Amino acid sequence: MRDAQNISALGSLSTLVDFGRLINSNLNLDFALNNLLFTCLGKFHSTKGFIALFKNREYLEISSSKGISEKVVCSFPRVHADSVNENEELKTFLERNNFEIKQEIIYGHDIKGFIFLGKKLNKNEYTVQDKEFLKTLVNIGSSAIQNSLIIDELKDVNRNLDAKVNQLSSLFDLSKEFSGVLETQRIGKLLVFSIIGQLLVSKFGVVICREGGFEILESRIQDEILVDALKSSEIKIVQDFIDEETIKKKYKALYKIGIILIVPMKIKSEIKGLILLGSKNTKMSYTQSDIEFVSSLGSIAITSIENGRLFEEALEKKRLEKDLEIAQNIQRNLLPKKMPLLNNFEIAAYNNSARQVGGDYYDIVRLDKNRTLVAIADVSGKGVQAALLMANLQAFLKSICKQNIELHEASNLINDLVSENTTDGSFITFFWGILNDDTLEFQYVNMGHNPPLLVRKKEITKLKIGGMILGVMPTMIPYSSEKIELQSNDNLILFTDGITEAMNSKMEEYSDEKFESYVKKLGNLSAEKTIHSIIKEVEHFTEGVPQSDDITSLIIRVK
Amino acid sequence: MSDFNVLTRNVGKVNVIDVKGYLDAHTAPELENEFNKLIRGSKYNVVVNFNDLTYISSAGLGVFMAYVETMRENNGDIKFSNMKDDVFNIFDLLGFPVLYEFFKEEGEAIKKFNDLK
Repeated sequence: MRDAQNISALGSLSTLVDFGRLINSNLNLDFALNNLLFTCLGKFHSTKGFIALFKNREYLEISSSKGISEKVVCSFPRVHADSVNENEELKTFLERNNFEIKQEIIYGHDIKGFIFLGKKLNKNEYTVQDKEFLKTLVNIGSSAIQNSLIIDELKDVNRNLDAKVNQLSSLFDLSKEFSGVLETQRIGKLLVFSIIGQLLVSKFGVVICREGGFEILESRIQDEILVDALKSSEIKIVQDFIDEETIKKKYKALYKIGIILIVPMKIKSEIKGLILLGSKNTKMSYTQSDIEFVSSLGSIAITSIENGRLFEEALEKKRLEKDLEIAQNIQRNLLPKKMPLLNNFEIAAYNNSARQVGGDYYDIVRLDKNRTLVAIADVSGKGVQAALLMANLQAFLKSICKQNIELHEASNLINDLVSENTTDGSFITFFWGILNDDTLEFQYVNMGHNPPLLVRKKEITKLKIGGMILGVMPTMIPYSSEKIELQSNDNLILFTDGITEAMNSKMEEYSDEKFESYVKKLGNLSAEKTIHSIIKEVEHFTEGVPQSDDITSLIIRVK
Repeated sequence: MSDFNVLTRNVGKVNVIDVKGYLDAHTAPELENEFNKLIRGSKYNVVVNFNDLTYISSAGLGVFMAYVETMRENNGDIKFSNMKDDVFNIFDLLGFPVLYEFFKEEGEAIKKFNDLK
């Protein structure tokens, strides 16, 4: 009898040694649990058993089982760590499936889970020794279980870390690519590639919010369907994203087409676009980290798109400026390049446009040996429109000068020609006259221009004779001309309203009065000096306020 | 700038795309072009040989996602072969093995296509 007991004890001991050696030889959890179960079943002649471990220290989950069907495994109740001993469902489960033995698996002070064993095949009860032996087995096994659990956890942590690193490198990859200026379309494509490649999604839409509407950048949903769904959904983004629950409840149209996640694309908290995603092909749900990834990518992309747009705009502006610069050169070439040298007259001119191109014009054309035509004009409006009309006027003037017709007739003609080309109420104030270098006569026609000033011995005569403003309608009443005799030291001052209407910072105009009293006081200066003095005077008045209108002046001094 | 190369060869009814170097956001459009060409030519059986690929980013992975449905809708597929361990790890990490077939050798992937027909 004693021998038999000894043999049995020896058998038990060798089982323990074998088990201890084996179970610690491998750090795989399944391997440890399997071995523990098989050893128990073999030792106690039981036909079934299972091990349930606490998942996240909360609920029991069957981690390994022998001799029970999948169905039984699935019917295992939800048992919380706090209520294992009182749990009625667990009691029922164990009774129904004939599990007689329950043994805690303890490591240190932590209960890791339980091992449950079925009845013995020979229907015998578990003896006290059996239970003691089971306890010992589990004790030996628990450290192996604990170690494999830690290894599993580490593996998980590592994998999560790898996933995070991968997401970061994708972000880095894209930001590197987007740092250059790209077309919006290419940005959209790369954004989508990165999202679907990272998250394995096949249903998606990327839309840009523009002027209250949506512009589809990329989508794997029919455009009209997506737009309709978006329109009917009046999306309000309160949080950083809209989850499946909310979409299901509030945005049924989008949910119907398979959208389960909406992430806004923001620039400085302003929503500029939306990324709409369907479910992952792997059937896994979106994690917080996934959403952060999409959100970061979206921000990078939308910033790049916005930058691209601004760059395009700047480029367009540059192009326009270049065009204007060319126009400015052309226009400058339309003005006389040098003053004619006359026997009795000295002429000086000044022209400065408020913008790149302007509507002021002056000209000096030598008609023959004695006669020289001088002209000054101010086209209504500013900028390109005025400049074009000015060029037009210049062309007419040059050709009419070749015709050798009387000045008043030429005036009728130029008005008819210009009238044909003006639209939308644009017009030109125009003054021209012919200086006779031989007789000192000056014949002029004023067509609505600020009357030039004839300054003689500090007295002013205004040259007003002419007729209607140029270009308003074809000539009905012929223009009249006046012929005046000039004298030595006379100053003839032609100017545009850029001078008299020049404004200072108090929004006061320079005015005709100030101008007239100023020119009256000017002494016997050369034409060049006179014009300089006038410009200086105007600049002095405006105190550096930028010029708002073109300024042109022509000084004819009789020697 | 980036060192990436893509070339397609015909092996019977199967089209093998050899990818080489770095496949990232910068080079993904090149691979995309290659797929577009295949679709224009109604060629839907594709094996991608990764033997010479050293790196792949999400944008590169996205290209496969973007075209696999078209291939499958036309009774074709995109299968992967000759992948180095570190490249496979990226695919594995993101869950691609659930959705795509991976082969050690290009020949096995081609055979899988041919066995079907």
